[in-house]
Amino acid sequence: MLIRPSPALFKRSVWKGPNLLPITFPAQMPPPPGTPPIKTRARSATILPNFLGLRFAVHNGKIYEDVFITEDMIGRKLGEFVLTRKNPNRRNYKPKPPGGK
Amino acid sequence: MVFLFSVNFPERRMVKKALQSFFGIGPNVSARLLAKHHLHDTCRVGELANTQILEINATLTEMKIENDLRRQVLGNIARLRDTGTYRGKRHAMGLPVRGQRTKNQTITAWKLNKIDRKL
Repeated sequence: MLIRPSPALFKRSVWKGPNLLPITFPAQMPPPPGTPPIKTRARSATILPNFLGLRFAVHNGKIYEDVFITEDMIGRKLGEFVLTRKNPNRRNYKPKPPGGK
Repeated sequence: MVFLFSVNFPERRMVKKALQSFFGIGPNVSARLLAKHHLHDTCRVGELANTQILEINATLTEMKIENDLRRQVLGNIARLRDTGTYRGKRHAMGLPVRGQRTKNQTITAWKLNKIDRKL
């Protein structure tokens, strides 16, 4: 009864298309087992359908974390699946001793 | 007593308010429903004719309200969690989902943001 514009339209201007960033793909598709994951810092790259089944190592600011691309992830960004912050656990929180680093 | 969408309403209850008691119908949608069925704003449930009640019931069954809508909202949150997205993780942690700050109070977030959210 109520017609609202689809929330998908609010995300990003259509004329821009998906955010395409230079990612080096393996020479063979699909990659043979034992291929190292694709190391990348392109957290803002949109996951395209041709990424399906690939293994990425996405930078979280410190280390590269593995992400395996499944069907549900298409259309989202690589960085959405790798947290950049530690989960603060207040229960085990101990203040640093004064005069430390 | 009048049955609307298999819920009993006293005859003095305003139709506008009776419709708003369903999950998924607020002031806006209820006003539109009244306009669709040619009812005035202060119409009471007791004034409705039998045919009008049937018509309202028919439109209500077509709409996504009550448990269908709850299931949809919970399904959307569960899907975010299962895909492993940032938003899903924030729901599971009970923290703000849309980039709000967490230095100070996040009372609304930890009240509401859960995997099986209370609706």
